[in-house]
Amino acid sequence: MESSVIAERHGTEVTGCPVMHHDFSKTREMGAYWTLANELRETCPHFYNKYAEGGYWVFTRHDAVNDIYKTPEIFSSASITPWEPDPIYRFVPTQVDAPDHIKYRRILNPWFSPKAMEAAAPMIRETCRGFIEPIVPKGECDFYEAFALRFPTAAFLTVIGVPITYTDVFVGWVDAFFGGFGGDPEGAAGMATALGEMRVFWKEQLDDRRREGHREGDLFSYLLDAKFDDEPLDDDVLLDMCTVLTLAGLDTTRAELAYMFHHLAQHPEHRQRLVEDPEIIPLAVEETLRYYTIIFGDGRKVTRDVEFHGVQLKKGDMVYGLVSGANRDPRHWEQADEFVIDRKRNNHFGFASGPHRCLGMHLARREMAIAVDEWLKVIPNFELATDAQLFERGGGAMMSLSTLPLRWDVRS
Amino acid sequence: MGHGRCYSLAPQMLTSDDEGYVTIRGGDPIDVPDDLQELARDVEGTCPESAISLIDE
Repeated sequence: MESSVIAERHGTEVTGCPVMHHDFSKTREMGAYWTLANELRETCPHFYNKYAEGGYWVFTRHDAVNDIYKTPEIFSSASITPWEPDPIYRFVPTQVDAPDHIKYRRILNPWFSPKAMEAAAPMIRETCRGFIEPIVPKGECDFYEAFALRFPTAAFLTVIGVPITYTDVFVGWVDAFFGGFGGDPEGAAGMATALGEMRVFWKEQLDDRRREGHREGDLFSYLLDAKFDDEPLDDDVLLDMCTVLTLAGLDTTRAELAYMFHHLAQHPEHRQRLVEDPEIIPLAVEETLRYYTIIFGDGRKVTRDVEFHGVQLKKGDMVYGLVSGANRDPRHWEQADEFVIDRKRNNHFGFASGPHRCLGMHLARREMAIAVDEWLKVIPNFELATDAQLFERGGGAMMSLSTLPLRWDVRS
Repeated sequence: MGHGRCYSLAPQMLTSDDEGYVTIRGGDPIDVPDDLQELARDVEGTCPESAISLIDE
């Protein structure tokens, strides 16, 4: 680990804080990012991560990450990527601060509330079965390709009122977008194309509702009726919102599902426990979100000069709360580095915390619980179908496997 | 909306409104019966927003 000591920064004496030069975007062996988070957290409560064009403060422990999330007036969401303090895009409502943020959230909240998801659950379960049934007799699959993105995509389309025949189209867009996330120039072109095509699709949907009239159970009709300060939402905001829902909800759920099924493939005792006691599946989902959190860290932009956990921050500085460090911090958790399948006091940050907590969390956790429940009903025993090393994407923000080959015995 | 961790863990004491925010059944605050004390501690410890506190009296 390369480190040195900052003697001076912005003319302020800062002692004992190392400077590091970590690249959090590169692909590493599966699990390496959580190991790195553990090392960073136990090495130093905070450090300055420097890269070619700039740098940002990383806070590695639970108490500081919690305080970042709970103090949005100091830690703005104007940028959530610390390596990009002035992004050219503005995701709504992700990058909107108070007072406007809550106005957008109040529009979207009822659509993704626990009650709305409860109502959608039978459809989600039906969709899930539709993906599992054809896989069962094969005895093997790449879980990542065959199920982990396709099911959440179809479920999401069902919830927003788009026919699930569009599943493959959306899968293509999401893959193309995240193919460009790592900075590969070839991927960047695909990312731009996917974003453009998505916006055309949303525009067509909105125009269709304007022309043909509104429909029941249709997010576009609902958004066209929504008011922000007594005014309808303009088209740019509507397109932004739809794009964010898609990008924030599908790839993330795929990643968490893959880590959860990897764990279950490796831990027959946990599969057995969930088969015998399906009531605890929701607790196992929460523990997955804690232990296998895909948010390596979460960025915020400092709004004013302030001393924070022993660091003098300046207005405009970027900070990075190491969520993966916080979620396994032994200062906060009992059995921090163990997967406790029925953990109850599980106030993890897997869906972030504070006003920007994940809008889709109730959909995501329900999809995960339904996936495990339905899968174990027909495939109670399965294992990894490869001895090869698996790798995970860093992406700077969201970890994800790239493949997960599974196999099981087919009952005759 | 809230995380919903509390009312999914203790539906006998807590429920949610249409936006997914918690409401306490039967008032705010409520007296926690003896047989639900342990569950109430779990609820306090499960909220990522630290929004629930048990008051010892």
